[in-house]
Amino acid sequence: MDVRIHRRRPAACVALTLALALPLPAAIAAEGPTAPDFALRSAAGANHRLSEHRGEVVAIVFWASWCGECRRELERFERLRRTYANAGFVVLGVNLDKDPAQARSIAEAVGIGYPVLLDASKDVSSAYDVNELPLVVLVDRHGVVRARHDALDEREERGLLVSLRDLIDE
Amino acid sequence: MRMTMQALLVKALVFASLAPALAEEPTPAAAERSALDTEVQELRRQVVDLNRDLFMLEEDLLFPASTQVAVFVSMDTGTFFQLDSVQIKVDDKEVANYLYTARELEALKRGGVHRVWLGNLKAGEHELVAFFTGQGTHERDYKRGATLTIDKGVGAQYVELKISDKRRKLQPEFVVRVWE
Repeated sequence: MDVRIHRRRPAACVALTLALALPLPAAIAAEGPTAPDFALRSAAGANHRLSEHRGEVVAIVFWASWCGECRRELERFERLRRTYANAGFVVLGVNLDKDPAQARSIAEAVGIGYPVLLDASKDVSSAYDVNELPLVVLVDRHGVVRARHDALDEREERGLLVSLRDLIDE
Repeated sequence: MRMTMQALLVKALVFASLAPALAEEPTPAAAERSALDTEVQELRRQVVDLNRDLFMLEEDLLFPASTQVAVFVSMDTGTFFQLDSVQIKVDDKEVANYLYTARELEALKRGGVHRVWLGNLKAGEHELVAFFTGQGTHERDYKRGATLTIDKGVGAQYVELKISDKRRKLQPEFVVRVWE
């Protein structure tokens, strides 16, 4: 019996070392690329950096004032933010308009309470390969992109809720 | 009967005195686990050390001391200036443009120093221009520039951009200096 224990020890050591010593396994276990970090100025004036939200589940909503579907997405994520904010859920709206005034007017009309970040230079949207609007990128607590959604219908919204709850529970 | 009671009492006393010793004696499995924990901690420490050494090696390879230049931002109190961003140009070429968040500003005000740029410059004279954007007193937009001519030698060079309050003039002061 003792012999068997001693034979297992090196393997157990390696496994435990890999599990405990490295901070990466959680990020590796989660499938998806690391979300490119960015810092943008918000319509309210404050600057926001994505990496400061490590440990929280982040939804990045790319939108523009000329996009009709975006308005519904902004409203949807405002509702979700109000529901799950206490569970560590954060929403960052990234606006692609050239004129910040347009972003502000839509944000006020919709009544969104999350930061509206201005990406007039399109640097961040290029980094996230945004080809259509609206686009929602879900980033988990380790900074890994876990899902990308375009405009959702009701059935897809239920799927989004399931994946969002899973991410919050992780 | 009396003898039996006495014997029981003695047995109870003996058991009570031995109980803590028996409880403290580790079982072979517990000792094994403890040894394993120690080994894991040791391995963990070695991995952390290795990670640090690799990081330093990578920095040495990418930014050798002969060409390395680092620019740091620090802040005194920031009463007269709310920093928003710092842009750095070296020889008229933009090398860094950094937006500061509220958390980063808080860290700077508490004495933190931020490395805003790390790069390579060949030996000789170089012009470094730093632009500070933010809000001055009464929430007025404020932009100031500071220029420094660096004489890059053989060793690594560190430049500090310091924002401090000039209380007599009730204005912020921007100082650029090279660490000796």
